[in-house]
Amino acid sequence: MFDTGSMAAAEQAVLEEKRASLRLVADRMAPLALARERTLPVHAALTGLFPEGGLQRGSVVSVDGVGATALALAVAAGPSASGSWVAVVGDPDLGLAAAREAGVALERMLMVDPSGDRVGLVLAALVGAVDVVIVGQRARVRPADMRRLGARMRERGSVIIRIGGGEQAGVDIGLRVVEHEWAGLGVGHGVLRARRVLVQAGGRGASARTRAAALLLPGPAGEPLQLGTEDGKTEEGEHERGSDPRRLVS
Amino acid sequence: MSAVRTLVAWCPDWPVVALGRPLDEPVAVVHANRVIAASPKARQFGVARGLRRRVAQSRCAELDVLERDEAREARTFEPVLASLDDITPRVEVTRPGTCAFAMRGPGRYFGGDTSVADLVHERVGDALAGRTDLRVGIADGPFAAGLAARAAYPTRVVDAGESPAFLAPMAVTVLDQPELTDVLVRLGLRSLGSFAALPATDVLARFGDEGRLAHRLAAGLDERPPDARLPPVDWSVDMEIDPPADRIDRVAFCARSLADGLHERLDREGIACVRIAIEAETEHGETLLRLWRHEGALSAAAIADRVRWQLDGWLNGSATSRPSGGIVRVSLIPDEVVPARGRQLGFWGGETEVDERAARVAARLQGQLGADAVLVPEHRGGRHADEQLTLVPASTVELRGRSLREDDEEAPWPGRLPSPSPSRVPADPGTAEVLDANDRMVTVTGRGLSSGSPTTLVVGRNRHAITAWAGPWPVDERWWDPDEHRRRARFQIVADDGHARLLTLERGQWWVTAVWD
Repeated sequence: MFDTGSMAAAEQAVLEEKRASLRLVADRMAPLALARERTLPVHAALTGLFPEGGLQRGSVVSVDGVGATALALAVAAGPSASGSWVAVVGDPDLGLAAAREAGVALERMLMVDPSGDRVGLVLAALVGAVDVVIVGQRARVRPADMRRLGARMRERGSVIIRIGGGEQAGVDIGLRVVEHEWAGLGVGHGVLRARRVLVQAGGRGASARTRAAALLLPGPAGEPLQLGTEDGKTEEGEHERGSDPRRLVS
Repeated sequence: MSAVRTLVAWCPDWPVVALGRPLDEPVAVVHANRVIAASPKARQFGVARGLRRRVAQSRCAELDVLERDEAREARTFEPVLASLDDITPRVEVTRPGTCAFAMRGPGRYFGGDTSVADLVHERVGDALAGRTDLRVGIADGPFAAGLAARAAYPTRVVDAGESPAFLAPMAVTVLDQPELTDVLVRLGLRSLGSFAALPATDVLARFGDEGRLAHRLAAGLDERPPDARLPPVDWSVDMEIDPPADRIDRVAFCARSLADGLHERLDREGIACVRIAIEAETEHGETLLRLWRHEGALSAAAIADRVRWQLDGWLNGSATSRPSGGIVRVSLIPDEVVPARGRQLGFWGGETEVDERAARVAARLQGQLGADAVLVPEHRGGRHADEQLTLVPASTVELRGRSLREDDEEAPWPGRLPSPSPSRVPADPGTAEVLDANDRMVTVTGRGLSSGSPTTLVVGRNRHAITAWAGPWPVDERWWDPDEHRRRARFQIVADDGHARLLTLERGQWWVTAVWD
């Protein structure tokens, strides 16, 4: 029973991935770029947070709150799964295993950790060459650099995700984790299984209306899940995913 | 039309020799986590090319694993090439460790294949000074000669016209085209002879251009049919260096721009370069020339690498072979060109335009910030969050059409924490304190029991109440090695600031090893 469930899920995932890459190809071949077509696909669980149902190319997304890193990875997962490259600037501590579980294709990922005065230069090079650039908190981007980048991004269609960049100027969509609660860990027993979060999105222009989504971020397998649809299953099902950490290792 | 009679000289295990290691010790040279060369001693233990670093280490515990250094391989090979200079001026380097030259002139002058082979052995033997042995193969065409060198001990001469017969019994895998040979084997064509027996037109129809070239090789012909195109206009590029440079760091910069210039020019003509002559002129009028060949077509980066290696080899050679003055001019002459096969950009995967752009920007940033500035994830395997995947410099892997090896995904790592994995894994973890209800530090006994239940977490100056926790999960790793031995106990702790952390107790000190942010 459990097997067929996971197989169906795997098939679903494959189908989803194929659809996403088809969208990307269709996107690339479209002769006329309508605003809605100039989007990058996002993970199915996050579509409700974006007015176009996808990441608008050329936009700056900020992620804040407890779980900002997981949220940044979840946003990057959609484009990455459909063939885009993801570059991470100024965040050398990012958990690679978490990135993979979130759905980021590690074979299309670059990590750069430039010294303070080189950040502008690195971002200018990356924007246009890779579709998604995650900017960590360690990378200080000057507002002047950001303005210069803005024009280039709109022209080239790259997206910047800033971790902890909510108060900065030039942000088009701000995502913030407003509620969060871990599940699975008790007092002296259990293991971290998933985190329920409520994410709010707000911003300029089309995204001015506040949107919200309840998610599992990360879900039990590390990937974001929409709450409400599979809630009951994720609580109980598939308990033993990894090996038991409680076993003594020698 | 028969192939050009060629001599190939091959120094086995060159990557190991170049690093200055004796061959009777177990040594393996790795590149991008794969073994690319191993010393004979290591091979006795079953260390073979293509193995992962960890597998190689598990087959031979005292194996010395070294990172590949291509520049050094090329530099140390230069004296070997220089020793052949008075046999023929046109020695071409296939790769460091293997060189070839056409036999037509030398064969006549020195009186036959065997005498040239003896001469090569004598000259190169002096240059190698016993570091490794030398194999010499002579046959029609570089492909057959290369295989003859591999079959040689120490010399193998395949008589003129005998190359097809020499190649016929060999397995098709020597073509080194896995996709093609895989199909051939499944079709029942296991030897080069049976593949060569197919009509050329049918091979072209079924396998395309690459198949046709492989078919020509298998039949003992030259890889490329004679080119009917007009002799090229001069495609060479050169650069003056002023003031004359006598150190590699002062000429290295020109390698890249020359290579880019040449590549762009050839690109416009729709051709690619398979053999390139690198020529340098010194202030005293000496001219140095060396040929480099590449199995595929040379990309701009590959040309730049070879130019840098070659200049390094000349400038850092022994006192007798070093040029007497600084280098004033460097030129690149495309010596053999083929029509560019025009890389088809993949539709669903493989080489795509996005990969190409990402690879270009990675190369650019490496040029600006240093070779190690751009990192990419690579599998390593392990039980801790910071061990399962690691970062390697982007220059050590091929970014186009890259796929991460997943083969140790199923390997059991007892004690590994189940997913979700932590989203922050600091390279140097910070310290913390975990206190029980009486504000005493929580410790773990030798039997893996905690002294009390954690209630307070102190990170820096902040005190957090602990809302949920589990542990201890002890790990006792590498107890057989006193230097690497680590005993740790891990706890998952959720504090009232909402963060879940992985806390580790080691030698009486608590560390924040990872955070689920």
